[in-house]
Amino acid sequence: MLNVLGINFAYNDRENLRELTQLRTLASLPIAGKYRIIDFILSGFVNSGINDISIITKNNYHSLVDHVGAGNDWDLNRKIGGIRILTPLSQPGMLENVGLYKGTAEALARNLHSIKRTVAEYVIMTGSSVVCCSIDYEELLHTHIKSGADITAVYANSLNGYKKVPLGIPVFFFDDNMRLIGLRENEDDITRQEATWSVGIFVIKKSLLEALVSDCIARGGYSFYYDILDYLKGNLMIKGYHYNKQLFEISDVTGYMNANMNFLKSDFRDTAFEKPIYTKVKDSVPTIYCEGCSVRNSIVADGCKIQGTVEDGIISRGVKIGRGAVVRNCIVMQNAEIMSDVELQYVIIDKDVIVREGQKLIGHEKYPVVVEKRSIV
Amino acid sequence: MLGMVKKETIAMLLAGGQGSRLGVLTNSVAKPAVPFGGKYRIIDFTLSNCVNSGIDTIGVLTQYQPLELNTYIGSGQPWDLDRLFGGVTILPPHIKGSHGEWYKGTANAIYQNIHYIETYCPEYIVVLSGDHIYKMNYKWMLDYHKEKNADCTISVLNVPYEEASRFGIMGTDADFRICEFEEKPENPKSTLASMGVYIFTWKKLREYLSRDENDEDSDNDFGKDIIPSMLDGGERVYAYEFKGYWKDVGTIESLWEANMDLLDPNVPIQLDDPLWKMYSRNNVLPPQFIGRDSVIENSYVTEGCKIDGRITRSILFPGVTVEKGAAIRHSIIMPNATVREGAVVEYSILAPDSIIGKYARVGVSDNTDDGVRRQNITVVGRGSSIGENVEVGVGLTVSGNMPAKEEGEAQC
Repeated sequence: MLNVLGINFAYNDRENLRELTQLRTLASLPIAGKYRIIDFILSGFVNSGINDISIITKNNYHSLVDHVGAGNDWDLNRKIGGIRILTPLSQPGMLENVGLYKGTAEALARNLHSIKRTVAEYVIMTGSSVVCCSIDYEELLHTHIKSGADITAVYANSLNGYKKVPLGIPVFFFDDNMRLIGLRENEDDITRQEATWSVGIFVIKKSLLEALVSDCIARGGYSFYYDILDYLKGNLMIKGYHYNKQLFEISDVTGYMNANMNFLKSDFRDTAFEKPIYTKVKDSVPTIYCEGCSVRNSIVADGCKIQGTVEDGIISRGVKIGRGAVVRNCIVMQNAEIMSDVELQYVIIDKDVIVREGQKLIGHEKYPVVVEKRSIV
Repeated sequence: MLGMVKKETIAMLLAGGQGSRLGVLTNSVAKPAVPFGGKYRIIDFTLSNCVNSGIDTIGVLTQYQPLELNTYIGSGQPWDLDRLFGGVTILPPHIKGSHGEWYKGTANAIYQNIHYIETYCPEYIVVLSGDHIYKMNYKWMLDYHKEKNADCTISVLNVPYEEASRFGIMGTDADFRICEFEEKPENPKSTLASMGVYIFTWKKLREYLSRDENDEDSDNDFGKDIIPSMLDGGERVYAYEFKGYWKDVGTIESLWEANMDLLDPNVPIQLDDPLWKMYSRNNVLPPQFIGRDSVIENSYVTEGCKIDGRITRSILFPGVTVEKGAAIRHSIIMPNATVREGAVVEYSILAPDSIIGKYARVGVSDNTDDGVRRQNITVVGRGSSIGENVEVGVGLTVSGNMPAKEEGEAQC
């Protein structure tokens, strides 16, 4: 067990996921058939021996609370450590000015009461828009301690082999000793070959984090990136740590589509599922493949009934696909029903949607159609 | 006593049987722990029935090969049986005072755990077996037991006359009060067969258990001893007719058949009832991946499977790999089995962790008559490995490894 408190920010202020995050926070967005983004984050912590975890939420967190519950399914219902979900608006001693956080430093400040109470020596923070599928936090912590850095910032320089910097992500500038000397948000979608960008993971001593956050608020700051990292880069030793394995990034709908489709590649799957990924158990029955169905190159969760055709798809739990329906390059979320003779291509079907007989929806690879939760098409 | 809670009804689940007729499938596990229906074990059906019927206190009596069963049940959390008071308790045979003994029979197993039962001061006790496939609301049966003011109620199934001689058969009066009980009669007088589900008024049962224990000639068995002596004693023993799907999966053929029944829409057992869920311990596995070359029809496939072959009318358990060009027909492929490239498996049960080598043929025949083929199921034992090109004949049982066949070598 590591002497670490894991903190996850369940939201991302920069995301543009249209209808997908209208009713849920980013961390509870379904992914890869049977998971939510938070499952990869929590499992990553648990697999590295971090059993003391706080999730900081901002809005729409009911779906996350419902999914995580007491943390049983991640083995996080513990007497020592365990999981806690920190909600906004009602922090002790903050009777005035209650409202949503303006930035991550403010979010940390408002939850200092909880952070101070935990006994861990170090804190590892993660966001929810970038998920590093096989990060070893133990090695990260050892590197941080050995380097003598005050803060270690994890960065990537490619998106599973593609030299792409996701829009809106902070880009880091390091000197030759990998010390942070500058940072800038990628506002214009520039794709620079050598760009090193933040995956949102930081290691820091808990006592230092507490001091930095209090100081930041006292100065009137609220952003962890700009009011702490950028402001103090001359005084603090902030070092980079290169993560170069599989990851997925979700800040817009196309990114969400790509993140899901990654799981159809066997090398990506092998890395992402090398260690167990835990999720809420639903006790679904096995999936039944009916006579005349055709499923190719797809991920299918349990509890589905498939009578039609599915190609290059991500099919979540309890989905029904009717006779004669053709579903290509689609993400179909939990308990959706695609009735017979429906044709879907590049469509993201949210939970509990019903697509009625014979309907046809065609999106584009770069701009998939999103069908909102519980709607009937 | 402070804070004392009483349980009106508790269940005792007999799970110690070896299930020797299942052959290699129960070499290292007790019958209730044999995988069933894609992601379940046989015992899940009885445990889920209890929980869905509102029974939250269950003693599971184990004896034969208990390790895997004990691990599987664990804290009982998957069935919601991790309770503050009650829940599931594993009851192995144990030493009492200066001596200890194995469970001599079903009744003796309950007798040896009287102290467990008395902890909860129950009015009624439900005695169940962990080796039947059925969905039943014991609450309804208990209501019936109370309504009849019975001392014992036995759940019965109306079976076809030809099959009646395989079961314990009840003779009843017009009010369904049992007047006769015959174990496997040659000329059955009725077609009401015992399902091995009993409800007893606990006070009465305790009396008969103690009496039976003192009888040295007794086999200490419910069917053979307790029920007949209750009938002789003039106790109120009633039959409760169960209408629904029920199957004893005691043999390879019946295990195969019960699995295949799940795929048949005409057989009245549905597992996806949201208000009567079948619970099971979950494997932490990714969703199934269906490759470009796969064709799957009329089959159950579950988590962790990786399919690139052709699957027809089969049940695949968690973590099964089927490589390109392999074909599986009318078969049951248990957890983590691997079927390599080009191999063909027909009318077979592959036990957990078995490996079928490239181009091997298991249970393959030209005969397509389902009625004949289902009587001759091929079985590959746990962890067995069938080498490349090896042919395993119809109806054979393989346990251990069969090395790859060299060119020109005679078939085995």
